[in-house]
This record gives sequence, structure tokens and C-alpha cells, in this order.
Amino acid sequence: MAQAKTVQTMKSQDENVQSLPVRSPYDCSTAETYTPCKLPKSMPEWWMDNREAAFSRFKAQGLPTPKMERFKYTNLARAVKDWDGVLGDGKASVQNDQGYVRSLADCMDVDWVRAALQNDAPGAEKYKDSALWDLNSAYLRDGFVIDIPAGIRVEMPITILHQGMDDNYTSSRLIIRVQENAELALEENQNGEGEYWKNFVTDIELKQGAKMVHLRLQDETLESVESQYTRVRAGKDASYYAFSLNMGGALTRYQAHAELTGPGAHVSFDGLHLLEGSQHSDTTILVEHQAPHCTSNQFYRNLIADKAHGVFQGKVHVYEDAQKTDGYQLSNTLLLSEQAHMDTKPELEIYADDVQCSHGATTGQIDEEPLFYLRSRGLSEMQARRLLVEAFIAEVMDKAQDGDLKTIMESKVGAWLSNVLK
Amino acid sequence: MMKIENLKAQIETDEGEKEILKGISLDIPAGEVHAIMGPNGSGKSTLSYVLAGREEYEVTGGAAELDGVDLLDLEPEERAAAGLFLAFQYPVEIAGVNMSTFLKTSINAIRKQRGEEELDALAILKLIKSKCKELGISEDMMKRAVNVGFSGGEKKRNEVLQMAMLEPKFAVLDETDSGLDIDALRVVADGVNAMRSPDRSFLVITHYQRLLDYIKPDVVHILAHGKIIKTGGPELAKELEDKGYTEFIKEAA
Repeated sequence: MAQAKTVQTMKSQDENVQSLPVRSPYDCSTAETYTPCKLPKSMPEWWMDNREAAFSRFKAQGLPTPKMERFKYTNLARAVKDWDGVLGDGKASVQNDQGYVRSLADCMDVDWVRAALQNDAPGAEKYKDSALWDLNSAYLRDGFVIDIPAGIRVEMPITILHQGMDDNYTSSRLIIRVQENAELALEENQNGEGEYWKNFVTDIELKQGAKMVHLRLQDETLESVESQYTRVRAGKDASYYAFSLNMGGALTRYQAHAELTGPGAHVSFDGLHLLEGSQHSDTTILVEHQAPHCTSNQFYRNLIADKAHGVFQGKVHVYEDAQKTDGYQLSNTLLLSEQAHMDTKPELEIYADDVQCSHGATTGQIDEEPLFYLRSRGLSEMQARRLLVEAFIAEVMDKAQDGDLKTIMESKVGAWLSNVLK
Repeated sequence: MMKIENLKAQIETDEGEKEILKGISLDIPAGEVHAIMGPNGSGKSTLSYVLAGREEYEVTGGAAELDGVDLLDLEPEERAAAGLFLAFQYPVEIAGVNMSTFLKTSINAIRKQRGEEELDALAILKLIKSKCKELGISEDMMKRAVNVGFSGGEKKRNEVLQMAMLEPKFAVLDETDSGLDIDALRVVADGVNAMRSPDRSFLVITHYQRLLDYIKPDVVHILAHGKIIKTGGPELAKELEDKGYTEFIKEAA
């Protein structure tokens, strides 16, 4: 087993980085011309052109508003309009890197990394919602690269801690390649201090037979905005298992786009939203079955309290050649108050004729019948509610891989319940 | 033990309020088993729900006292602590809550309310084990979610198991015979009979006389249109079975 260690690898935190212009991303979105923030010295010239191109694509779309089909329920532009934060960096650190994590700035000119950086957002043409990806490219200053060589199994999770800093806008990118029959377990813990906006891009490529388990705790401050665009490309017999606990942020958007490109590939996106106060959290997932004999699951449970607003949009797109596809999506929501709100939009788009696909969504309150049954057995109303809600959560928490982050998640969930079910 | 006096209750329907219990009086002394028989819609299940404290039913008059404690003022969980137990006609499925967690939470919730010390996990496990054995319930059932995927017989046995663990003073069995074959009925009845004691009483609600062959009542009441129309000994059940409800109710009117 590799020795666990902690490394700080964000180049942009080095002292040789020059100071940044004080411009907010909203200002930039309305600016006539691209004003780049200064680069760390190690960034190559070609990246400048790339950034300018990304900026013009971003400008053409603007910050997402509900006028964009895929942002129907989420107004990101409104959330960041009065933003006076500066373009800057959050803090990021890696624990237990096991020798596979490098700073993005250090490997910009590695061929496969360079190719990944030059990719447009997935489905940019078709869905016209690449604004956040392009914004990330335009102001990208650093990130991490994880490359697991063929046949290597990293079962002890690599942990990345992303910390937002007050009055800061951060664009960072995570580029991951898991090569043939290799395995990666990754845990991301996202939190911070004060008011900030994080705009992440995560670009994952799984080669033949590769496996990745990806746990994410989104525990941003209640004043912050987080947007995240994750792409997953899964080749033949590759498998990807994502689990997210989304409980922080004033407004958050998790957008995933998975492409199953080889037969026998599998992706699953499971997770839990715990929302209270006036929080808004949006999870939008698109799975493209491009090859036959692939499977995909999306299973979300949502607990919405107070005036909070949850969104789940799940889509499975089955290409003509993708026979024997098995695609499944389910979203269950418990509303804990009269003003709590959930928007759910499950979609199937199927062009193959021999497939098994299903989707379902339920939204409701805690049922009276089990509540009365438990109370008739001596449980107080609060105890009975808590037991029922815990059961509702447990079914999805079972999907998360056991480990340090899951333990943290469980205690966060417990504390949240104690606070909300008073 | 249990005194019900002129109990009236109504429920909110689409057509407005509907009175279902129109003045029911019952006196069930300690150690006795009373049966209530009646046709569908006579108010049998409503009576059990009203006693247990289900919120949909509004009590509009009368009283129900268990050992001098006015039940109608209490929350459902307080009634359970006071010694009332309702065996449900349709036990509720609770996905994600396993049987042993449920039993443990229930026993300790009641003990806490009664001012008794809570039992530790080991003591509860022992208790569950011995009660399961007595009732012929496999311990595998304890690992499953409450009533989820249980057969009709398993659900009713589970109700009797909970009753045996909570040791109530007064138990209402609401159509415990429905959905049971003869063998399952016998197991359930044996479980109830084993709990009969001079300081515990039962109210057995049923549509059919069959159950009363296994759980022998001291007194039988006939309920129709929200009122007790006749009270007698066990022979009343036989008479009802011979004549049928329609004829019997006509004669009693």
C-alpha cells in the first residue's frame, strides 16, 4: 500500500505568480473584449489562443439563464449578477496522491492533456449549453491531472480538497485518464469560507476495462455559488460510479455528460440533495449510449426543507446502434415544508429498438400511514419522522463506496437531520 | 379496565362531514376478551383507529378511559405508553427500516415514556429472540424491512410479536383473521391466547365467527351503522353466523 501523503500542487499559489486584474466574471461576460488574467509562467502560448476562442464562445452564449433549455429551472446569471468578487484561486490540496497526481500547469504540453484541453464541451453543438465549460477555459489558471497507467489499481482513494475563499471566483479543471484495466477511487471534498463562485470542469476518460469510483461531498458555504461540468467518456467494458452529496451553496449546478463509447460500458450517477433555507441546487445528467450492451443508472433522493428549491433533470439518449441498452433513472423527493419546491424532468430519447429503459420520479411528503403506525408503537412524532427520513436516505447512501469521505458524509447527514427535523 | 362511553366520531369526506360512530359504549373489565362483530361499513375499523388516535377521525363526543386515563386527550404514542395496543388490519410497510431497529426503537420509546430504564441492544436482542421462538417467527424476518414483502400471515404474526414485546394492558385486534389461512390463524390465535391474563383485556374486531373459535370471547357485541345493537355471550356469534347480518340487524332493529 502506498504511503499516504499530502501535497500542495496548485502552481498558481506559488509566489512567482503575478497579481490578477480585479474583474468579476459577470463584468467579463459583459465586456467587449477578453481581458485575460495573467498566467503562471509555465503556461504555454497556444493556451492563450485557446482561451480567447473559449471566451468568444462564452460571450456568444452569456451566463446561463432559464432561457437556455438545459437551464430551465436555474438562473445562474441572476445569482452572480451583483458579484463583486475577484478572479482568483481557491485553495486546493491533494491527500494520498500515491504518485499519480500532477499540477495541470506542469503538464499542459503532455500530448493527451493538451488534446483534452483543446476539446470543446461535450454536445456543445447539439445542446448549446457550453457556456460554463467555455468560461472555465477562458479563466482557467490551474487544476490537477490524474493519470493511472494500464493495469494499476488505486483502491485507496485519492482525496482532493477544494476550498473556496471569500470574494473569489475560481476556474479550475481536473483532467483524469484511467488507462486499460486500471482502477481509480477518487474523493472530492468541496467547501470554503465566505462568498465565492467556483466553476469546475472535470474531464474523465476511461479506457477499455477501466474502473473509477468517484465520491463527491458538495458542502459549499450557504453564500456561495458552485457550477460544475463533468464529462465522462467510458470505453469498452469500462465502468464509472459517481455518488454526490449535495448540501451546500446558495446556488449550485452539477452537470454531467457521459458518453458510453464501447460495448459493455457502465456509468452510474447516484446522489442525495439536502436543501434548506433558500438554497437552490440543480443536478442535470445526460447519458449517451453510443455503443451496444451498455448500462446506465441514475438514482437520486432529494430532501427539501423550508423554501429551498431542488432540480433534477436526467436524460438517457440511446443511439441507433446501441442495441441491448439498459438505462434506468429514478428521482424521489420528500418535501419537508409547504414552500419547498422540486422540479424534475426525466427524459428518454431512443433510436434503437431492442433496449430496456425506464424512468420514474416521485415528489411527496412524509406519508401519514407509516407515521401513525410508528407512533402507535410508542415513537414520538419527531422520532417517527426521523426514522422514516433516515430510511429514505439510507437507500441511496448504500450506493456510496465505504471510506473516509462516506463517514464524513454520514455525520454531515446526521447533523443536517437534527437541525432540520426539529 | 377499558371504559368507552357514548363515543361519537366523524370523518371529513368529499360530501362533507360524515358521522361514523354514533354513540358507542363498552365496558371491558380486566382479564376479559370482548368481540365486536359487524358488517362492512358498520364502523369497526373506525373504532380501532379512534381509540389509537388517528388524526383523520374527529371525536365529537363521549369518552374512552383506560384504567382511569382519558385516552382521547393523548397523542398516539402516549396512548401506547398508557398500555393501549392496536394490531392493524393492514400492517403498514416501511421501506428501509429494518425490523430489529424498529422493535428496539419502539420498546425503548415506550420504556422511556413509562419512566423505565431503556434496554441495551443485547437485552433487546435476547427479548426478540425469545419472543420469536415462542411465536414460531424466523429470526431472518428481523433483518428485513418492516412488513415489506411479508406474506399476509407474516404481517399478522408480526403484529402479535410487537404486542408480545410491548405487553399492553389492553389490545385491540382489528380483523386479525383477514387474509389468513387456517394454519396461520391458529398460530396467531395461539400467540394471543398465550397473552391472556387476569390483568390484561382484549377487544377482538372481526367480520367472521371463525376467529372466535380460536380466541374464545367472554362477551360479543354486534355493531351496525355506528351503534352497538346487541350484546351477549359467545352464542351470539353463532346466531349471527346462522342468520347472516341482514336478517340479524333487521330483527334487532
